[in-house]
Amino acid sequence: MEIYLKGIAIAYSGALVTLQITIFAVIMGVIVGLFVALGKMSSIKLIRIIFSVYVELLRGTPMVVQALIIYYGLPMLLQDFGFNFRWESPVFASILVCGINSSAYVAEIIRGGLQAVDKGQMEAARSLGMKHSQAMRFIIIPQAFRIILPALGNEFITLLKETAVLSVITLTEVTRKSMLWVAATFEAWPAYLGTAFVYLSFTIPLSRLVAVMERRMAQSDRSK
Amino acid sequence: MIEVNNLTKEFGKLKVLQGITETIRENEVVCVIGPSGSGKSTFLRCINLLEIPTSGEIYINGEQINKKGVDINRIRKKMGMVFQNFNLFPHMTTLQNITISPIQVNKTSKAEAEEQAMELLKMVGLQDKAHVYPSALSGGQKQRAAIARALAMKPEIMLFDEPTSALDPEMVGEVLQVMKDLTHQGMTMVIVTHEMGFAREVADRVLFMDEGLIVEQGTPEEIFGNPKNERTKSFLSKVL
Repeated sequence: MEIYLKGIAIAYSGALVTLQITIFAVIMGVIVGLFVALGKMSSIKLIRIIFSVYVELLRGTPMVVQALIIYYGLPMLLQDFGFNFRWESPVFASILVCGINSSAYVAEIIRGGLQAVDKGQMEAARSLGMKHSQAMRFIIIPQAFRIILPALGNEFITLLKETAVLSVITLTEVTRKSMLWVAATFEAWPAYLGTAFVYLSFTIPLSRLVAVMERRMAQSDRSK
Repeated sequence: MIEVNNLTKEFGKLKVLQGITETIRENEVVCVIGPSGSGKSTFLRCINLLEIPTSGEIYINGEQINKKGVDINRIRKKMGMVFQNFNLFPHMTTLQNITISPIQVNKTSKAEAEEQAMELLKMVGLQDKAHVYPSALSGGQKQRAAIARALAMKPEIMLFDEPTSALDPEMVGEVLQVMKDLTHQGMTMVIVTHEMGFAREVADRVLFMDEGLIVEQGTPEEIFGNPKNERTKSFLSKVL
């Protein structure tokens, strides 16, 4: 029994890193994703194409490959161009990888949310003399945000689990903590059971929270 | 003053407006009636360019608004619009609905905008609803709030797009009353409506539209009392 608790404790020692990366990556994903979503809805065709390609590239490649490119590939490329660049720690690279990766998914979520706002809202705002940008900022985006909140919650959960692949770029998050312990003790079963336990201890409450948000949404829709 | 010259609007192959020429004078109250699909709403929505005309010209106070380089937001400030489905902003209280545009577009101070909003709410009989959200308002209250919101920009022209069509019958009267009060204040109003009794009572002039054209126009007495065109007669015989 003690060995199982030890397995959980080892995994938990990486939880702070996992959470940190996830939170910063989601914030970055939402900010970048908003611009990507607006870009994909641009009236200028070239801008639409650029952002569509961005989304396709990120959604069409595994995040572990993206991590390898950013963490190992990018410094090499920069050194070839004469910049003496290397990542001080995998933490920033991890946030960057997860944030950029997430932005592609968040962009699609945001685009869906923006398009779900009744088009009469934009018309009413414009009829009051607001510019398109003002209507987006004060009227459309706040409403879209409420619509997409549950979907963003799900994205947060997905990303939290996905951070496990960052062990390949030596980030000592939950999974890597366990792997290191296994390397030293060969206690694979208790170690990885503990890893799973730690992820579940975050994802189950979060998915309950998302379910509550979805129920609230459904209620406010009815009372419209 | 609104001048419309040979206005057409096509949605793909569908010709919704087939060449409308009309002048609406300052302080005039004009009701637009006609069967569904006759282009009434499209005509109204072209006036503040919510629909971009396919051809023709629209002049507001002598200035052509549907040409390149015109700042439509400046023109729209002079024109309020009231929608069939209210289109109140559901994430804002009634007061915020009314003050958002004066504050953000006209750069009115918050205190001044709120003071004006309270006066407008009093005018439409909703002073006790300032701090509730639209979801807590009845249909009639929503539409009165929407009228107050449009008036907050101090427009010279008000456009009404079937303002009572989405209301339960017992709420139609309260909205029409607010609109009637407005006509006494010398506001230029263009009202697309199915309320024939109301049109007859408040309109200076009635336009009858069918198949994208103004088929007949005249005073309410002329249109309702002695319609000349066959299509007007046939329409009125069905709705009156």
